[in-house]
Amino acid sequence: MPATASGGARPEEAAEAPSASTSASVCMGTRPEELAARLAAAGPAAGAGAGCVGAGAGGAEVEHERVRALREIKNQIIGNRTKKLLYLRLGAVPAVVAALASPVSSPAALVQAAAAAGSFACGVDDGARAVLDAGAVGHLTRLLAHPDEKVVDASARALRMIYQSRLAPKFDVNIGKNMDFVLSLLNSENENVTELAATIISHSCESSAEQLSLCSAGVPQKLISLFGGSMNLRDACLDSITAIIRNNRETASRFASMDHGKVFRSVVGLIHDRSPRTRLLTCLCLIALGHASPCHFQDKQIKTKLIMVLLELIEEPGQVGDEAPLALTTLIKDSLELQKQALMTNAVEKLSSHLLANPLETRRAVTILLALSELCSKLEESRSQLMSVEVSTLILEALKHDWADIRVAACSCLKNISRSPKVLSGGRLSCDTVIAPLVQLLCDSSTSVQVAALGAICNIAVNLTPWKTVLLHSGAVSQLVHLSKSMDPTLRLKSVWALRNIMFLLSPKDKDFVVKELTLSTLSSLICDSEHFVQEQTLALVHNLVDGYLESANYVIGEDGMVIDAISRQLNNASAPGVCIQGMFVLANIAAGNELSKEAVMRVILPHRTDCVKPTFVVKFLQSKDKQLRVATLWCLLNLIYPKCDASSGRVVRLQNSGVIPQVKNMINDPCLDCKLRVRMVLEHCVDNADDCFM
Amino acid sequence: MRRHTRGFHPCGAAREKFFCFLLRTRGSETAAAVLGRQPLPRRRRPLPPQLPTMPVRVVDTATPSSQPSPGQDANPGQPSPPSCSILSAGRCFAGTQNVSSLQKDEAWKVNVRIHGCDLEQGYLCGTMEALNVPLADTPVVTFWEGEIVDAKNNTFFTGKWEASPEDDIRHWSKFPSFLPLLGQVETDGGKLMDLSNYPYIFMRWKEQYFVNVGVDCGLTIAGFYYVCFSCSDGSISGFYYDPNSSPFQKLELKCTNEKNSGFTFSSYELQ
Repeated sequence: MPATASGGARPEEAAEAPSASTSASVCMGTRPEELAARLAAAGPAAGAGAGCVGAGAGGAEVEHERVRALREIKNQIIGNRTKKLLYLRLGAVPAVVAALASPVSSPAALVQAAAAAGSFACGVDDGARAVLDAGAVGHLTRLLAHPDEKVVDASARALRMIYQSRLAPKFDVNIGKNMDFVLSLLNSENENVTELAATIISHSCESSAEQLSLCSAGVPQKLISLFGGSMNLRDACLDSITAIIRNNRETASRFASMDHGKVFRSVVGLIHDRSPRTRLLTCLCLIALGHASPCHFQDKQIKTKLIMVLLELIEEPGQVGDEAPLALTTLIKDSLELQKQALMTNAVEKLSSHLLANPLETRRAVTILLALSELCSKLEESRSQLMSVEVSTLILEALKHDWADIRVAACSCLKNISRSPKVLSGGRLSCDTVIAPLVQLLCDSSTSVQVAALGAICNIAVNLTPWKTVLLHSGAVSQLVHLSKSMDPTLRLKSVWALRNIMFLLSPKDKDFVVKELTLSTLSSLICDSEHFVQEQTLALVHNLVDGYLESANYVIGEDGMVIDAISRQLNNASAPGVCIQGMFVLANIAAGNELSKEAVMRVILPHRTDCVKPTFVVKFLQSKDKQLRVATLWCLLNLIYPKCDASSGRVVRLQNSGVIPQVKNMINDPCLDCKLRVRMVLEHCVDNADDCFM
Repeated sequence: MRRHTRGFHPCGAAREKFFCFLLRTRGSETAAAVLGRQPLPRRRRPLPPQLPTMPVRVVDTATPSSQPSPGQDANPGQPSPPSCSILSAGRCFAGTQNVSSLQKDEAWKVNVRIHGCDLEQGYLCGTMEALNVPLADTPVVTFWEGEIVDAKNNTFFTGKWEASPEDDIRHWSKFPSFLPLLGQVETDGGKLMDLSNYPYIFMRWKEQYFVNVGVDCGLTIAGFYYVCFSCSDGSISGFYYDPNSSPFQKLELKCTNEKNSGFTFSSYELQ
């Protein structure tokens, strides 16, 4: 198949090699406009008007002309995206599908029309949409029963290409006689047809009910039995098996135990296959199995082998090399053990050198960056290796790249590199060359880029170095404040999260700067945000504001009590433990202030109510199953009655009368050591302050 | 925090004689081995009301205890140490490190800040600042990483940094709160202990690099600290260990987040 300016034929299309044009096409017009017109003129209506095929010399001529036109169009569009789009504009697809629909089309016309329809659907969404809209699937499915084997072959191949498009309709095996149909395809003697069945399953099988039905119908066994066929068939079967076991413990478990593990071992054997695509699909199948049913895939040697195979596959050209890093990412995701294994096989070094050897504007660069990012999500050694190679410069370049996917992947890398107090303490990321482009991305036109940049800024914002002002002077704060008012809850969450981390251990002067940018009314709104994750991060921001800067409590309890009222509302109504914990730490920090602050906290936890029936939320928090909430509440109480003075004694009495201190006394044997120690401290302070108030 | 280089305190040669400690032999291993093979139920006993208490030993019948191995042969099935709200990122401690030698009494003011704490992985890190170090123009700041002894990720036996099990026992025994654990640690390194309800957290802090001065600042960070943290009040005791340094340099720190009117908190969260 000759490559074209538009990229050449995809593997699926390659089977439909252009056939030799007849001499007629030489003497007649072969320009797309002419061909489209010829096809329309020779369409079924024209053919029918001249009589049935073979009914006369005129009909035969028309049919012959149609076959020639179809063949020529097919030859021109295979592997040529530009031509496909051109013929789409000329309305060729309905004419091609009409040939499939016509009862009078000759086998030769059907073969050429099927091939053309499949090619239109291959790799071009608009083409797939046009083919589907013209009703090609129904006609091609009907033609699978055609007596001419060549028509069956061509129809099956065309349907395969259509079902490889994400736009193709799902084929639910649990509806009507669909399962029987799939099984009949699988049982066909024709490899093109069985491969079609495997493709339909890969495309359509998503729900756990479908997976179980296919498993119960013996489809995995059938697919395994087809491994002996062609390479394409085997690859399609592997892909199908992956679809059947993905994220389904039951089907994965059944598959792994099938035939006493023999089936599983036969799949494992394919990781040594000579075909790179088969090796990749085998890895994907085993990864899906390992994730769905970890107990059936514990062999460390196989996992290590998978890592090594995937690292080798990155060297392969085309889709296999592009997808191998993604498969590696899926394999090692969230697994410290596998990330260590990958590191031991020099994964960072190998991926880095591939990244440096490829241009950034490729899918491979994106997938490699994502794999490197995952490798840095847990391991300091990976982070250290990545920061020490040239790639770190490349990552910074990638932040400014035109392609959004590259920018997202680069942000992801920086987020995971900076996911470490050790790296943050080193301060290498707290410099203008890193922060400036990241802050720039907060205004990106793509929301996914904004979210990715926020992830990195969130971590880098943690203030562990003496160089604290770079981020503050970068314009980040005003951008984050702007994003905290976004309609998108993810943007709101991550921007507030970043502001919370910025506020951590910040100097009072810089805290004032952040509050001024944020404003107390925005702060109050965020505390009452519709999303409790946003509420939680906002309250954490407030407790960081007050820590180490007790005068800042005035922001919370001053201004007509706007912020403290919002906090009070949340603590009285919130159901999410995270919100309550952070809220109690805010109150604890304020209660560590002066008398005014302590009394403000007392008014929140013991409000003057007309209905004295409802107990204070503090008692509920002390009875919570969440030990962090109990601890936070105890610290707040401790601060309220600390140090020993008349005012503290008065608060002890009020806490005693409201049932809070009696509840603390009940916690003397709290199962959590931290709680138990704080309970003792509270009770000791009670004794110090008011010897006779509760003993 | 760090020792003077050999030029300042040439007392390393006398170390062996000075610390001729009589270590208990492995005689008790036999009893422990027998105990370890008992089919006892895997459960925690309730703690007596008084603190400190002995940590409850959880016998893992699947793990033979007859071969107590030194170093990092920790038991991954053991629970984590107690989560203590005072031992968390952002918390600051201040105190002194006694670096006195036979020739001279000397103590440095020391500030410590926790930068990160991952109890699940038995890891923490932070910075240590020495304020009045002789021959240093500015306060000297180092970055350190710590191992929490949790019988899961780390045991009482260091197994590296030139520390033998004998060195470990000798230093841990300096902490009164360790003494109730001594027998068990001598038996198997304490790898079968459940320290999750013990009101002290034992750690090793190893300085990794100087933050604000060069390596030629006249100090060394070759050694490490044996550290004992009190969950009750957040006080820290430690002993610096370096075979070539003044022995038993004592670190004493108190939590500074306790102000006149109470304790305050701050936190960050990484994505």
